[in-house]
Amino acid sequence: MIGSRRSFLKKGLFGGLVLALGGTGLALYPSAQVGAPTGPLFALQPASFQVLVAVASRIVTVAGADPVAIAHGVDEALTRVPPEVQVDFNKLLGLLENALPGLLLDARVQPFTRLSPESRDRVLQGWGASRFEIRRTGYQALRKLCLAAYYSEASSWAPLGYEPPSNLNAGAYDDSKAGTPEWLEAQAKADGP
Amino acid sequence: MTKLATIRSSASVIDGSKQAASLTLEADVCIIGTGAGGAWTAATLAQAGLSVLLVEEGGYYTHADFTMREKDSEPRLFQEGMARATKDGGIAIMQGKAVGGTTVVNWTTSFRTPEDVVEHWKKRHAVGGFQYAFLFPDYAATEKRLSIAKVSYGAMNANNRTLYDGCTKLGWQVDTLKRNVYACLQTGFCHLGCPVNAKRSMLVTLIPDAIDAGAKLIFRARADRLEHEGGEVKMLHATLLDGEGRTPTGQSLTVKAKRFVVSGGAINSPALLLRSGLDSGGLVGRRTFLHPTVGSAAIYDEKVEPFRGAPQSAASHHFAHRGDDMGFFLEAVPWYPALAATAVPGFGASHAENMTLAAHTALHIAIGIDGFHDDVPGGTVTLRPSGAPLIDYPITPRLWSAFRFAQKRLAELQLASGAKSVMTLHEQPISMTGKVDEAAIDAARWEIGSAPVFTAHQMGGCPMGDDPKTSVVRSEDLRHHTVKNLHVVDGSVFPTSLGVNPQQSIYGLARLMATRLAAAK
Repeated sequence: MIGSRRSFLKKGLFGGLVLALGGTGLALYPSAQVGAPTGPLFALQPASFQVLVAVASRIVTVAGADPVAIAHGVDEALTRVPPEVQVDFNKLLGLLENALPGLLLDARVQPFTRLSPESRDRVLQGWGASRFEIRRTGYQALRKLCLAAYYSEASSWAPLGYEPPSNLNAGAYDDSKAGTPEWLEAQAKADGP
Repeated sequence: MTKLATIRSSASVIDGSKQAASLTLEADVCIIGTGAGGAWTAATLAQAGLSVLLVEEGGYYTHADFTMREKDSEPRLFQEGMARATKDGGIAIMQGKAVGGTTVVNWTTSFRTPEDVVEHWKKRHAVGGFQYAFLFPDYAATEKRLSIAKVSYGAMNANNRTLYDGCTKLGWQVDTLKRNVYACLQTGFCHLGCPVNAKRSMLVTLIPDAIDAGAKLIFRARADRLEHEGGEVKMLHATLLDGEGRTPTGQSLTVKAKRFVVSGGAINSPALLLRSGLDSGGLVGRRTFLHPTVGSAAIYDEKVEPFRGAPQSAASHHFAHRGDDMGFFLEAVPWYPALAATAVPGFGASHAENMTLAAHTALHIAIGIDGFHDDVPGGTVTLRPSGAPLIDYPITPRLWSAFRFAQKRLAELQLASGAKSVMTLHEQPISMTGKVDEAAIDAARWEIGSAPVFTAHQMGGCPMGDDPKTSVVRSEDLRHHTVKNLHVVDGSVFPTSLGVNPQQSIYGLARLMATRLAAAK
C-alpha cells in the first residue's frame, strides 16, 4: 500500500514538473538552428521543427537520408491527428530540447539541438529506456513518426529487398463489365453451389 | 446496374468538399458511416423502398487511387492517418476511414461469430433479441454476395505458411482462413486499398447496391451532433470538410430524417452519441474492446516477403479458451516498408541493419480476446475538448500476463516452423535461436513504451442488450433504449470482443437487423 502511494506521488510530482518545464521554454543556452524548413509548417512550431530535425538526423542515419525532409513528412502526418495531439507533440519536442529537466535528470546543460551526434543518441536511448512512461512513449512517438516518414518514400526501399508490383490499377483490371449478366454469372459460378 | 467506375460521379453521390453553400437534405433514413454496418443497412433498406441517405466523413477513393504506396493510402484511408493511439500511447490503433469504412483496408479475413460468444452474450449480457441460428441465412447471404471462400493450403504465402506449419508441428489447432475476394490477383495490398477491385469490400459491393436501389451518399461530411427532443432525433448536424478531410470548408450539412442509424464504428459512434448528450447514464463509450495484440518477428534462411500474396490466410484458435486467463488467437500480418520500420525496435545504424533482414522476416501476432473476464474490462471512449474521441485502455496485470504467455507461444511456433532466429518487438528485444528463452521473456520490460501493443479490431462502447441499465441499444433491433428513432448498427454494439476478426460478424448482424427494420417500416 505504502509502495503504491509513494510511486503515485513520485509519478504525480514528476509528471507535473516535466509538463511545466516543457511548456516554459526556459533554457540555459539558446537553441541551435539545425535545418531550415523548405516549405510551410502545418502542425509544428518553428522551434519544434528544429528539435525534430535534430531527432531525425539520429533516428535515420542511412546515407542520403535528409532530416529536414523527414521532419516535413512528420509535420504532414500530424495534420491528421486532433489539435490536442498536435499541441502535445510540440510540447514533447520542447521537453526534449529544454536543458532544465535535462540538468535535473540527466546532468545535461545543453539543449538537444546543441548536442553532438553521440550525445543526441545517448539522450534518445535514455528516453527509450527511461523509468518514466512519458519519456518512453515520447521517444516511441518520435521514432515511429520519423521512421514512417523516411521509409514511406520509394527511395528508401532498395536495402529492404522490397519491390511492389508495377502499376496494376492503370487498366490491367477492367471493371467496366461489373454488374453485367456475364459478370454476375461468373461470380455465381465462383461462389460455388 | 451502375458501373463501379461511374458511381462516384453519379448524381446520387455528393462530394461535401465541393459545396459552395450549406445543405439541408431529407430522407426516410439517415445512416452515418459507410462501413460494414452502414453499407449493409443502407442497401437492405433502400431495396425495401425506403429513401436512404448515407453520410461519410472519409473520402470516396476507388481502385484507381490505390497506388500500393503507404504514403498515399495510410494518411487518407485510416483514422488520424494511422497515427491514432490510446491516451497513454500504449496501444496503436488501426481503423479505416473512407467510403466503405475499414472494409477498404482490412486484410479480408472472414469469420462467422463463434457460437459460444453469442451464447455468452445471452447469458451474461441479456442479449435475447435473436437466436444464434437466426444469423445463419444472413451469414450465408454475406458469403454469397462477398464471395467469401476458404483459402487452400497451396495458396498461402510464406508468412502464413510458416504459421500454419509451426502450429501443425506442435499439434496446435490451425486452419486456413476464409477471405472475401473474387478473382484475387494476390497483389498483397489489401491494407492499402485493393488496386484491382478483387477485395469484395463495401466500396465495390453493398455501396453500389444501395446506390442502385436509390440511396444517396454524401462524403467529406463529419457528423457533429444529433439534435433530439422528447426521445426523438430531429436532425443531424454535420460539418463539410475539404478534399483531404483536414479542414472545414465553412459549409455545413443538416439532415432531417424519420430514422437515424449510427454506423461510425466502435470509436466514432460512441463519440457522436456523447457529443449529442446521449450518454445512457455513463454506459456509452465504456467497455470498448480492442483485441489488444502483440507480435513476434522470425527470421528464416529463405525469403518470406510478407508483402506478397494474401496478407492473412491462416489462423490458430488453439489458445482462445484459457479459463481464468485471457485467451488469444494467432495470425500472420503483412509488412510494408513504413509499417516494418515502426515495428523494428531501436534507431540509427542497428535499426537500418535489421531492416535489411526484412524480406526474410515473418511477422506473427497473438490477438487478445478481451471482455470475458471481470478484470479485463476494456477501455473507454470519451471526448477531447475539440470533440474528437479520446480512447483510454489501461493494460491490466491479467493482460500483461497473457502477453507474456503469448510471446512464448509465438516464439515456440516460429522456431518449430524452421525460423533461424526469433525476435520480440520490445524496445530492448529478446532474441532467441534454437529454443524459447522463457526466463528472458518473463524478465523483459512488459510496460507501456517498452512493449508495443496494437489493435486492428475495435468493438463495444454502445452495447446491445435487453436491460437498459447495462446496455445502450435493444438486442431485438439495435434501437436505442430511450430514443425511439435512433439505431446503432456497427461493431460498437458487441457486448464483448469477438475472438475472431470482426467484419463478417458486423455484416451478418447488420443484415439481420436491417431486414427486421425494413419489415417494420
